[in-house]
Amino acid sequence: MKKFKYIILFVCLAAGITACRKLNIPPKNIIQDPDVFGSTGGVQAYMARLYSELPIEDFRYSPDMGLNFFWIIKPTPATTGEALSRDQGGSSSENFGDWHWDVWGGNYTTIHDCDYFIQTLPAYAKNYTQAQVNAWLGEAYFVRAMTYFALVKRFGGVPIVNKVLNYTPGSDVTDLKVPRASEKAVWDQVASDLDFAINNLPEVNADYGDGSRANKYVAAAFKSRAMLYAGSVAKYNKITLFDNDHNQLCGMPESEAAGYFQKAYDAAKMLDGKYSLYLSAWSPTDKNAQYQNFVNLFSDPASKENIFVREYQYPNSVHGYDAYNVPRQLMGPNGYSSEVNPTLDFVEKFDGLPKNPDGTLKTLDASGHYQLFSNTMDIFANAEPRLRATVILPGDVFKGQNIEIRRGIYTGSAAGGISPLLPAGSKSQYPTANLVVSSTAGQTAYKLPNGDLMNPAGLSGVFTGDQTCAISGFSVRKWLNPNLATSQVLENNETQTWIEMRYAEVLLNRAEAAAELMSLGQTGSINTADPFTIVNQIRSRAGADLLTGAGDATIDVVRNERRKELAFENKTYWDLRRWRIFDKEQNGTIYRILMPFYSADAGKYFFDQRTDERNDVYTYDTRWYYEQIPGGAISKSSNLIQNPGY
Amino acid sequence: MKKIFYYAALLMAVGVGSSCNKTDNYAAPSSTITGSTVDEGTGQTVQTEIGGGGTRVKLLETSYSANPVPIYFQSKQDGTFNNTKVFPATYKVSVEGPFVPLVQTDNTGTVVSDSSQTIVLKDQATLKFKVQPFLRVEWVGKPVVNADKSVTVQVKVTRGTSNPAYQLDVTNINLYVSNTQYDGQNNYDPRYSTLTSYSGSNGTALLGQTITITTTGGALPLQDVYFRVGARINAGLNQYNYSTPVSVTF
Repeated sequence: MKKFKYIILFVCLAAGITACRKLNIPPKNIIQDPDVFGSTGGVQAYMARLYSELPIEDFRYSPDMGLNFFWIIKPTPATTGEALSRDQGGSSSENFGDWHWDVWGGNYTTIHDCDYFIQTLPAYAKNYTQAQVNAWLGEAYFVRAMTYFALVKRFGGVPIVNKVLNYTPGSDVTDLKVPRASEKAVWDQVASDLDFAINNLPEVNADYGDGSRANKYVAAAFKSRAMLYAGSVAKYNKITLFDNDHNQLCGMPESEAAGYFQKAYDAAKMLDGKYSLYLSAWSPTDKNAQYQNFVNLFSDPASKENIFVREYQYPNSVHGYDAYNVPRQLMGPNGYSSEVNPTLDFVEKFDGLPKNPDGTLKTLDASGHYQLFSNTMDIFANAEPRLRATVILPGDVFKGQNIEIRRGIYTGSAAGGISPLLPAGSKSQYPTANLVVSSTAGQTAYKLPNGDLMNPAGLSGVFTGDQTCAISGFSVRKWLNPNLATSQVLENNETQTWIEMRYAEVLLNRAEAAAELMSLGQTGSINTADPFTIVNQIRSRAGADLLTGAGDATIDVVRNERRKELAFENKTYWDLRRWRIFDKEQNGTIYRILMPFYSADAGKYFFDQRTDERNDVYTYDTRWYYEQIPGGAISKSSNLIQNPGY
Repeated sequence: MKKIFYYAALLMAVGVGSSCNKTDNYAAPSSTITGSTVDEGTGQTVQTEIGGGGTRVKLLETSYSANPVPIYFQSKQDGTFNNTKVFPATYKVSVEGPFVPLVQTDNTGTVVSDSSQTIVLKDQATLKFKVQPFLRVEWVGKPVVNADKSVTVQVKVTRGTSNPAYQLDVTNINLYVSNTQYDGQNNYDPRYSTLTSYSGSNGTALLGQTITITTTGGALPLQDVYFRVGARINAGLNQYNYSTPVSVTF
């Protein structure tokens, strides 16, 4: 018995001796560097992660929820004055933390992933051709540049961390508490990372040439966007913040502006002849073709205008743009609709509308009575085709349906003309006398004098008690998929491609940079005809009125063109920030809407323009030009200095 | 053997009882910082708005660190402040708001003047900061109720500083209407308030003049209504200087 015990003990000990030897075998259940960096498949997987982390404001972005969030009910256009949304009641900064976007930790994770890739790949370079290695490094630098860009446009100067930081157990962590660099240093980091990408990426990405991964020109296009942002900050920013070592964390000397604008101009010029404006269905004379062309631009994968896109795939990566934004009468089974309702202020920017001398839409006749129309589309008969492709106007056709938008039926007499329902500028509710309205989509038809029945409100609104309708009198058209069956208009079900960078923006970047350089008297290395030529190129494609003289292409004209062309693409938000005019446009502002009414007596429609019936006031806080650094980031790294005013 | 077992059990019981007994032994902050932000020209407190867009007090706890993370608390609307939950320590205190900054830096970040006050806080400290407001907004007479139940007010806006860096154009002069005295750009009734933006030097031309402003939107509701006029220049964080709130009872 005792013998057995000894034997057992001996066996156990012997097993123990050999067992310890095996501990230096790498764990089989953890993916190691050679697994990732040793094969093209591994690198592909790493790239997939980098690109999914790439901070771009796509279908899944809203200032409220940040990136990669599915539920977009406070959409970006409802913060910029492009549109109103029932869920957005005023100006807004971005929300970070809690269940919103972890902007700090998230972006620094991406920067870490880029740094790790850049540091590690060279050790495995022998497995690949030099061209492959250069291209992949170029992509990592591209993603890192985009991530620094995302940080600097929100916060100003942020810590620059270009190598992986490692914690040594037992050390104090002072070396990990990297302080903020100056804002200029971060913009220059963005520029130099993009320059590396431009120099190392091929003309066409060898892994995916469809614009979903970067190439040389993608990097150049984003360089034009970033440098234009930097130049605008240098020129227009008024907020400054220094640390104790005189690093300017917020703002840059105005003298830097010209240098950045020149970089933006030169980068945009690199794309000359490589991409082109989409004109497949366009005709110089046919307004309908121009409309269809602008609609197709957002869904044609063969478009030569697409520079950089984000693709989606069911069920791994999806969005719900149509579900949230279709007009009410085309509502999908989830029950959402009409989150983006363009304002009259936005619609009035376009050409081809009857206007008063002050630029507002003309809805009254010479005697001060409402003009009457047989059809709600009559007032828009000559509207610029790009407007129709961007906004669903009341009565226009979408998915084969007449999109019916009507505020109510006016039952008063039309003899001698109908006087305005409210005094000009009034912010009061509409009077209840002589007006039949509907509070929800469940309507009771009104009997017209000729005996016909008519619902008080249109099928897409406006409903007074329930704002799931076209609360501004308009609904958004851009990006909506006309071929998506209503049963498929669901959240988390759509795979329409997001175009983050298209050639029209690059042209407009170039025009704006040139106009800015001209205003600074720096015309040495630019073509001073560019702003005029480019605005007319864009307008001609849009079917808008052309500028007549080169002197007309001022900075304001170029900006306005940009706001029309890139509307609802989540670009205007950043433009208003970098021009530092958000606080001027949203200064106790109530946006304007256009309400179509049907006169039962006249048997015709009339339009009333007024301020938002909800009286939602937009006031942009100047502090928001530099967002608040999340408190959690400062608690972890007390070297971080908070931005002014928070 | 049994004895040892009992001792061990007793020891463990004591351990269990005392281990969880560690309360936060640091007394709650109970010192007070109180005081006011005063216009050095008129001796009046500088009116501001409640919330993040108004005057606030900045505390730097220099006895904790040479480069501490600042602590802020908000001033009241009338320009006084009071915080009764502060730890006793040495603080460098300043105020930030719609007036010439107490800590001024040049365009390279060098501090050129610093009127912060350093206090060794024990129980209570009262501070008075003399500042130069960007603008002074003063009533001229009382609000007048018109026949149509709208209200007309008169104010005078003047500069509160001769500092050349802050002689900027006046961009806004707004009459705010509210049903509470906490009236300002972040709390007003848009139906009746009259907001005016000025471009170029149009607003500046009104400095020193009696400005007449009438509420918009016709008759005011027949209840207590408060009026306040705010004006600003495009400096710093674009904050407003305000008149005192006045009320009209119909």
